[in-house]
Amino acid sequence: MYQYIIRRVLVFIPMLFVLTILCFGLIKAAPGDPFSSRLDPKINPEVYEKQREALGLNDPIHIQYLNWVKGAIRGDFGESMIFKGRAVSDLIGERLENTLYLGLMTLFITVVVSIPIGIYSARHPYTPLDYGATAFGFFGLATPNFFFGLVAIYIFSITLGWLPAQGTVTRPGMEGFELFIDKIRHLILPSLTLGLAGTATYMRYMRSEVLDVLGSDYIRTARAKGMTERSVLYKHTLRNALIPIITLLGFEVGTLLAGAVITEGVFQFPGLGRLFLQSIGNRDYPTIMAINLMLGFLVLLGNLLADIFYSIVDPRIRYD
Amino acid sequence: MKFKKSLLLLLSFVLLLGILAACSGGKKTSDEPKDGKKGTEQKAEGPQMGGTLTGAMDTAPSGQFNPIFYEEAYEANIIDFIYEGLVGQDENLEFIPSLAKKWTFNDDQSEVTFELQENAKWHDGEPFTADDVVFTYKMLASPGYIEAGGIRTYIAENLLGYDEYSTGASQEFQGVVKVDDHTVTFKFKEPNVKALGDAAFPIIPEHIFGSMDIADMPSAPESREAGKVIGTGPFKFTEMVQGEQYVLAKNADYWQGEPYLDQVVWKVVDQAVILGLLENGEIDFVADPNGFAAADYETVAAMPNIEIVEQPDFGYQIMGFMMNHGPIMDKSKWKENPKVKDPKVRQAIAYAIDREALMEGLFYGKGSVINSPIATQFDAYDDKNPPQYKHDPDQAKKLLDEAGYVDKDGDGFREDPQGNKWVLNLNYPLGNKDRERSAPIIQEFLQEVGIQVELVQPKEAAVYFEDLDVNSDGWDLFLIGWSLASDDPDPGGIWRSDVPYNYPRWNNEAADAKLVEANKPPEAFDKAYRNEKLSEWQVMFGEDLPAVILYAKNKLWAYNKRLQGVEVLPYRFHNNPHKWYVTE
Repeated sequence: MYQYIIRRVLVFIPMLFVLTILCFGLIKAAPGDPFSSRLDPKINPEVYEKQREALGLNDPIHIQYLNWVKGAIRGDFGESMIFKGRAVSDLIGERLENTLYLGLMTLFITVVVSIPIGIYSARHPYTPLDYGATAFGFFGLATPNFFFGLVAIYIFSITLGWLPAQGTVTRPGMEGFELFIDKIRHLILPSLTLGLAGTATYMRYMRSEVLDVLGSDYIRTARAKGMTERSVLYKHTLRNALIPIITLLGFEVGTLLAGAVITEGVFQFPGLGRLFLQSIGNRDYPTIMAINLMLGFLVLLGNLLADIFYSIVDPRIRYD
Repeated sequence: MKFKKSLLLLLSFVLLLGILAACSGGKKTSDEPKDGKKGTEQKAEGPQMGGTLTGAMDTAPSGQFNPIFYEEAYEANIIDFIYEGLVGQDENLEFIPSLAKKWTFNDDQSEVTFELQENAKWHDGEPFTADDVVFTYKMLASPGYIEAGGIRTYIAENLLGYDEYSTGASQEFQGVVKVDDHTVTFKFKEPNVKALGDAAFPIIPEHIFGSMDIADMPSAPESREAGKVIGTGPFKFTEMVQGEQYVLAKNADYWQGEPYLDQVVWKVVDQAVILGLLENGEIDFVADPNGFAAADYETVAAMPNIEIVEQPDFGYQIMGFMMNHGPIMDKSKWKENPKVKDPKVRQAIAYAIDREALMEGLFYGKGSVINSPIATQFDAYDDKNPPQYKHDPDQAKKLLDEAGYVDKDGDGFREDPQGNKWVLNLNYPLGNKDRERSAPIIQEFLQEVGIQVELVQPKEAAVYFEDLDVNSDGWDLFLIGWSLASDDPDPGGIWRSDVPYNYPRWNNEAADAKLVEANKPPEAFDKAYRNEKLSEWQVMFGEDLPAVILYAKNKLWAYNKRLQGVEVLPYRFHNNPHKWYVTE
């Protein structure tokens, strides 16, 4: 098992390397650069030309890539070309914290809500509650994030005044428990919004998986040998039904980190998604590369974790 | 009418009762004036100390608060409270004293000497002196400034000895010279009409940055972090949550007097939520750079607690004609674009577009139709002499017929005088929604007079502007918008044939010469003379027409009525914030 994990982690290295080459090539192949959309009649383009030269944007592409790799190996991802005077690692670090909180909270909501409802629906199919859950599922899938977010802000922040509408904290300088509670309060609406579609998806998956497993032979065997309904459900059904869900969650890691662009926008939540989008629009090469590398790493890691979880939920799966 | 009056009276009584019930609780009301008129207004009690004011902007500043390195309007929103220049501008765009008490020009207007405020202090208590002024301009001119990420060399370029100092050939900068602690002289290479504009740049403290290498300046905490940024302005930058909130606390020792407000807080709020928060009072004002959307005007106007400020923006959107194709900066390689070379064609296109209707459709008419590329706030803008191009499809058709562009094959579209197919392609970038939506409308207007226009797939900004610069050989029409500076009306930076932003590649020697005349000392120091020359240039622009100026949008700002002492400038909401105060 440990050998397997180490082997998998070592495979990350060449994969990430290929990923960075691809990313670098693609982003460089796109027309434009950090300065091409900056027009100011007072500023002579020669100024930008000098800055291109100073940043090495005029060097041949392989030299630029090698320079980037040299820095990245040492953990130096350079300075942002747009956020002047800010190190990329610093820029990402600050956003990553927010994004992690949002991601964890969303994941928590998604799992805590979707899995029990899914199981319930499967055990009591075609009951009013199941229909209700199905309706909720379609509602969740069909409602665009931004719309749900705005409605939630309107109801819970502006009209009722229960929850804050924007950002991650009420004011700077909060500490300790007060800060913790404040952060949670700020997370509720965005994570509900972000979790809505996910919850609906997982709920539907869970329902169909559990239904599927409940109909299989080994469940009948388990029941026949007199096991309680409870242990049939938790020992046999759930474990088998969770496998596809874990696969999905493995991929979800990347989505939760950078895929929250729209939700982050509506709530002005300074997370990675918007930074990523902004850096692409501005061709902020060092930031794009660093985020890509990180996301690539996390998706690989997410999948590795999913593989490990398989073996936990299903003892038949073994890695040697 | 009579009914209305009595209704008003009744209404004001109801309001009066409401206010009394709300404010005074169970207090007796017998000594209140019976006159209904006064009842609706709370009595002004004059400025009060204290209070926090919250402003909203829709995008987070990228975090560079050093005036010599920042680039965005979002950062300027914060910098404006912290830093000050030697001179400011008033509501008529005339220069007024700020950190400089007064100034005198020498005889040939090549030097200007400023007398500085003696009681001005930096936020850390150090006195503000002529050394800080010299230092700031030296930094703008110093070698390595551009490489460090600075772009504002134009502020220092006109100063004496700029070239020698910026290339490192000389260690002495002759451009800005300290006379004594509170007197400083700016020396220009030649008499400079824009001298005061150049002297309006925010001053940074030498005692903070003096020992720093310029390459390290943008990343220094003193350029970025709350509590470390030091200016002379009415508010100190004390706290922030990066990307969310920026807290400015009053500078009690401010040299123009202690500000009334305790704090001004900038919050980053999504455009879609700003209005709701404005209405419920969580936000007190929204202004530059984006204000609120014209589509929401009625909604905001209906909010009882909100005041709207509407005034013209500094800037305009154009549809340019690609008069020539080729590299912008090398006129010798330009090739005339035969499809739009006839001035009658360009004029016909201007007549064919109903710009009033365009504005009405795009943003409910909250803007103005202008006919020359100078902001209307300047008295240099001439609204009479240049051709006005009022919407007139018949005139457009007539001009096209005269120019020989007629429909010969009966397909509803005109062919060129040689009888070839004549299709104009219209290029535009993504990003500005109004601009994106205007492209198909323009296409329709032009089709009505028989001009076939093809919309080219719009591109994202970074790609579009690069193409516009170096890769626009097939283009005929293009959309672009310009924001203008408020310090000087000279349109030369965009419209002279030898400048890098002359995207239409407009080459009109007479017009170029006119702009040179308009800026040539000593005559140009006479404002009337300069305006006359600029007016003549505007006529040439309108007749030769390298671009149709589509519209100049209005700025729409809003603020809570509890904020008092607002004196907006044509280019800025926050003017003299130390005089702001709030009523509760």
